[in-house]
Amino acid sequence: MKKINNKTWIMIAASAILVAIAINGCVESKLVAAKSGAQLWAENCQRCHNTPSPNSFSHEQWATIGLHMQTRAQLTDKEREKIVAFLSQ
Amino acid sequence: MKKLNKLFFLLAMSASPLVALNSHAQQVVTDSTLLDRITTLEQQVADQKPGESHFMVVGLATFGFVQNKTIFTPPGGVSSSVKTNSLANADNYELSPMLLWRHGKNFLVEFEPSFDGTTLGVNWANISYFAAPGLIIHAGYFVVPFGIYSKRLAAGWIDKVATDPAGFDLPGSDFGVGVSGGLPLGSMKWSYDVSLTNGLQLLPDGELQGAGVADNNNNKTVSGRLSLLPLSNSSLEIGVSALHGGVADVGSGYNNANVTMYGADINFVKTIDPLLINIKGQYNRINVNKQNYASPTDSSLYSFNNKTSSFFGQLSVRPIGLDQPILKNFELAYRYITYTTPSNSAWGQNYHESDFGLDYWLSWRTVLKLSYERTHALSTANSAIGGSTGVTDVNSIYLQFSIEF
Repeated sequence: MKKINNKTWIMIAASAILVAIAINGCVESKLVAAKSGAQLWAENCQRCHNTPSPNSFSHEQWATIGLHMQTRAQLTDKEREKIVAFLSQ
Repeated sequence: MKKLNKLFFLLAMSASPLVALNSHAQQVVTDSTLLDRITTLEQQVADQKPGESHFMVVGLATFGFVQNKTIFTPPGGVSSSVKTNSLANADNYELSPMLLWRHGKNFLVEFEPSFDGTTLGVNWANISYFAAPGLIIHAGYFVVPFGIYSKRLAAGWIDKVATDPAGFDLPGSDFGVGVSGGLPLGSMKWSYDVSLTNGLQLLPDGELQGAGVADNNNNKTVSGRLSLLPLSNSSLEIGVSALHGGVADVGSGYNNANVTMYGADINFVKTIDPLLINIKGQYNRINVNKQNYASPTDSSLYSFNNKTSSFFGQLSVRPIGLDQPILKNFELAYRYITYTTPSNSAWGQNYHESDFGLDYWLSWRTVLKLSYERTHALSTANSAIGGSTGVTDVNSIYLQFSIEF
């Protein structure tokens, strides 16, 4: 049986650690979870453009634009949901 | 008196059915009016209820004026200059309506045709499926994930100066499939955007362009961008991009021609009261493996180191926290660009550009821009194969209006 060298073991271990971090780490902290839609709107929209006025579109339109913005800015699903809820008020 | 009372009693008794009949008639009339009103309201509710699908049109329009002066100095020669004034060209005119169709909560169709003053093209036409939290699957014709400029910052109502930075056209939009998503990472965030597309096309002079509607070979191109937002307020984003794929036409004389692109980008937006500070930058590098190209002058073969690099860095400042309503709508911007194409090719040059912008925001999505742009291009092209040599300096003033509708 072919012996697996140390370098391969290190690579496997490193990959496993990275995957574990990626899976387990994909959870938001309490600080982030507590953020309101208004706060996320202020923080995320201006990464690319000015923060939009909630009056610019209707609830249904914001829901559609929210999906479009998620494809552009790679918002998380919770961010998109909270921002759309805030803009729809 | 008793007779009179008896008469009144008889009259009252005989009139009571008439009163009841009249009351019933009024109620029927009232009920009918109420029913009509309810029917109308029901119709209105039916017209306005969300439904499963939603269709809307947004988009952007940009119109501008440019005046420029071009000074060309041939090697060892005398300079000559040309002035132009133009109300519309590809850099300062665009009308791009974007059609968005949402089907339920998981599907989105995006289609953006665009007229730039000379051609009617399509920026993107694709469908996205929001499969799971952090997982969007998309297919069609879309902006290939590479850097931040093309996908996020190119719109006239977003860009702080009038023109697109030179050297950031590639990889552009292409046909393919891809996955993307944004995910939390504790108090940080990260995102990925990966695609498989038809890829780029290598032209006879070694330049690259999008392959267009018809794929030019059987190879597919893999590209992607990974980004990290290390701060909990999402003010800083750092991204890295890569792309690799075959670029030769089927049957061409190129030897396994392929391109590898690398990129890095940064985006920092932070309010330091009263100023909104905005820093953006991107670096691209394009490497095409060694190939022989046919000279257009005598069909002999020649080669060069086909490597291209481009960089832009941009700083803009807006006093958004001021109480003064006019002043807070002004934004100052500066952008620096370097763009180096392969020396000894037919299109080699060392290009530098400095842009100064003064923007006035009429609303969050409507802007009037005054931009001064100064470019300096030193040709490193090979004149033996038809390349133009010399130095070209261009000074331009743009007045541009842009709106998102």
